Amino acid sequence: MKRWIPLLAMALVMLSACGSAPASAPASAPAASTDSPSGAAASGDVDTSKLAKELFFYNWSDYIDPSILDDFEKEYGVKVTLDTYDQNEDMIAKVRAGNSGYDLVVPSDYAVTTMAAEGLIIPLDKSLLPNISHMNPDLLNKYFDEGNVNSVPYMYGISGIAYNKQDFPDGVDSWAALFDPAQIEKYKGKFSMLDDERESPGAALKYLGKSLNDTDPADLKAAEDLLIAQKPFLAAYNSSDVNRKLASGEYVIAHAWSGQAIQAHNGLGDEFSGNADIMFTMPKEGGMIWMDNLAILKDSPNAYTAHVFINFLMRPDIAARNTEYIGYLSPNKDAVDLLSQDIKDLYAQGFAPDAEMIKRLEWAVRNEKTTAFTDLWTVVKGE
Amino acid sequence: MIEATSQTKTVARPASASERTSLGGFALLANAVLLYTFLYVPIAILVIFSFTSDQFGVRWTGFTLDWYARLFANERLMGAALNTLYVALISTVASTIIGTLTALAMERYRFPGRSGMDALLYLPIVIPEIVMAVALLAFSAFAFDLIQSITGTPIRRNLTTVIIAHIAFSISFVVVVVRTSLKNFDRRLEEAAQDLGASGWQTFWRITFPLILPGIIGGALLAFTLSLDDFIISLFLSGPGTSLLPVEVYNKVRRAVTPEINAISTLMLIISIALVGLSQLAQRRR
Amino acid sequence: MRPYGPPLTHGGPTMALDTLQKQRQRSSRLRLAGLLGPGAFWLTLFFAMPLVIILLYSFMTAGPRGNVIWQATFEQYTTLFTKDIYVNAYTRSIWASVLTTLICLLIGYPLALFIARSPQAWRTPLLFLILIPFWTNFLVRIYAWQIILSNNGLINSAFQALGLPTQTLLYTENATLLGLVYGELPFMVLPLYASLDRFDFTLMEAAADLGASRWRAFLRVMLPITMPGIAAGSVLVFIPTIGQFVVSELLGGAKVDYIGNLLQRLFLRSNPPNWPLGSAMAVVMMGVLMILIMLYFRSTTEEDR
Repeated sequence: MKRWIPLLAMALVMLSACGSAPASAPASAPAASTDSPSGAAASGDVDTSKLAKELFFYNWSDYIDPSILDDFEKEYGVKVTLDTYDQNEDMIAKVRAGNSGYDLVVPSDYAVTTMAAEGLIIPLDKSLLPNISHMNPDLLNKYFDEGNVNSVPYMYGISGIAYNKQDFPDGVDSWAALFDPAQIEKYKGKFSMLDDERESPGAALKYLGKSLNDTDPADLKAAEDLLIAQKPFLAAYNSSDVNRKLASGEYVIAHAWSGQAIQAHNGLGDEFSGNADIMFTMPKEGGMIWMDNLAILKDSPNAYTAHVFINFLMRPDIAARNTEYIGYLSPNKDAVDLLSQDIKDLYAQGFAPDAEMIKRLEWAVRNEKTTAFTDLWTVVKGE
Repeated sequence: MIEATSQTKTVARPASASERTSLGGFALLANAVLLYTFLYVPIAILVIFSFTSDQFGVRWTGFTLDWYARLFANERLMGAALNTLYVALISTVASTIIGTLTALAMERYRFPGRSGMDALLYLPIVIPEIVMAVALLAFSAFAFDLIQSITGTPIRRNLTTVIIAHIAFSISFVVVVVRTSLKNFDRRLEEAAQDLGASGWQTFWRITFPLILPGIIGGALLAFTLSLDDFIISLFLSGPGTSLLPVEVYNKVRRAVTPEINAISTLMLIISIALVGLSQLAQRRR
Repeated sequence: MRPYGPPLTHGGPTMALDTLQKQRQRSSRLRLAGLLGPGAFWLTLFFAMPLVIILLYSFMTAGPRGNVIWQATFEQYTTLFTKDIYVNAYTRSIWASVLTTLICLLIGYPLALFIARSPQAWRTPLLFLILIPFWTNFLVRIYAWQIILSNNGLINSAFQALGLPTQTLLYTENATLLGLVYGELPFMVLPLYASLDRFDFTLMEAAADLGASRWRAFLRVMLPITMPGIAAGSVLVFIPTIGQFVVSELLGGAKVDYIGNLLQRLFLRSNPPNWPLGSAMAVVMMGVLMILIMLYFRSTTEEDR
């Protein structure tokens, strides 16, 4: 048996060398599959004869109103099967291994770049996506996918502070509320920070007046010290059920995504109704903006149907309904107009960026230097 | 399970529970009561809060069956629960059979490569789940490429890949438990049977099997439990549309636990108890 | 088995002895292949081979996009052994696992003993009662502990009702420990029970009759005989505890890293993930554990041979 092991190892190395090396052809022809669009469909009309029976959608959990999938089936006769993930990296790992069986995924900003570079997603056929005209031009053509070659925006969000106004009647306007020892002592064990190597260090850097992409070692050290000093007062690092813990009163304040704050305020679908005391603010020092995007996988046999579905999701009425349900922000400007007055009021109260707030927001870029954040985070967690 | 052991044990039992042990006996009882309470408090909460009208499922605000109604209408969760039971049942049966055979080989035979096999058997116990998940994912990518290049048909991960993986990590756990019962086994019983003219096959079924049955059942229960709970391997090896309950629950729990999750957990509990109860009944009849 | 019967003699002298032996040998070899074959096949194909990939990864270079570049290097292992943060995660995890194992053994042994000494008809139900909680999803059970331990949870509500101050119970290292013991206890009790069930309790009587105190009888008779169960139980508890990450996240508040958390992060949470480093970390951890286990089992198995 022992003799076999090196042999096997060799076989595996050889196999993997040809199997998993990125196809290194980012410019592969769009939608080379059999159902690629013909000229006739270019007007945006859907050629129903080319639709697949079923579409496999791999999306974040609780990230679509399930009734929208039903509507799509009613309208086009295509059943959408939804599976969920919890992290870009989970999804990429599965897709990278090949034959995932999914047609459509929802990578975040930086993950679009990764997936495109690895040849995991295909360029979109814009002639099949006429509804892209409804999108907010400010959120198109971003650094991670210039020209929106491989993706269209799905939802976006900002990372700031959610708080309970019963405990903070005067509101909150600075990251000091989460980092200043004199302040956090009062709610020791009743607040949380996002459990993410870019979010929490990013917030610390912002509090220090730096860019959240700052990789200067001295600044990173300062951010690290700040986070370590904060730790004894912290209830938990939590990026998952902050919504529920805020709504139920377990946390009085938290580093949170805007969508979590809206869910805490308004409730999430019919899962729970919210707590109207929960407010959200983008601190004056600024914070992070990020966006999740729709993209079609290279090994999808149903690229045409996937385009039709993406276009459907960009229809303003559908996007508006989805936004109401999920609570994150819609990059669809015409959908925003259709939102209920309640949500619009929340947006006016700081749950969504206005022209002034936009200036304080920053995208978190990923490059070879930002791996420093992985080390920083490991040190913070190791204390 | 009971019948088998009673033949040897009834002799050993009678006078042992004598008056001397009353104090120790009380301590044992107290420890047991405490531990059973410890084990069941969370379960009780889970079951009770599947009936609460509180939307967060964290306090009692009144009785409702709404969550169950919602659950039965939720095809995703119900489908995932069925998938999970299916995977757990098949992988338990397969890994128990394979594991028992392996345990017999390891305990009863000396052969070249035995220590290598020993190492191979401990590896699945030693490996962190997440590492095995990553390894299997990478391996499935190779294997699928290979199969596709030979047969020309693309294959996808599905429930079968999950079952294969579950069997792979369960075998070792079965082997460990079964070997424990084989170690304390009095070989003279088998020798005696053979000397009395029983064939090897007869000896196994009449003597060996009944005596190690508690170990086999213990191993099977471990395998069942492991499979029901496995999350990361299921996440990575399942295919589209074949979601498993732990994956669904993990994703949901991380956003917001609702009593609906309590309800499905309660149902799974009842189904598992019923399944195991049935298997016990069947065994008793035999 | 029978107190009397025909004298036990081996087969007649009619067949030549060596052919008989050869036949026996062959059938024995066949039987071994039949017994060992399925397990060896399955584990080699679906376990050893995937693991070889991890081993290979650990000597490769991490790509900028979380990919693995097939370029051999020892870099991962040097990082692992030279940076405090990784060494600390190892020691913290090992310590937590030792504690968990000891606690499980300390409370699990009496429980297994209690079950083994219960009336025959009770034993199976008692055993099942230990396992039943584990047929609900682990995460959900850990969440139930959050409900019990949180600041406005059940225990603190009771404290308030009694006029006692609120205690911080959740998101502490003790909460993590409690969750670990809760999660692993049956893995200790099952093998312990399996060996105690075979234990001949008259031996204890005999020891007592010979003047041994009960404690001494336990130490000298019961403990050695049930050692395989203790070993198996300890291993089954110790190992998964080392790799855990859910309990420390949900009950410990994700505030400190155990190996499991670090592995999870290296494989799936960092951007970009670093599979080679994660693989190296796993390889080292498995290597250490394998040595421990082999030593452990060897020492316990040699005793009764």
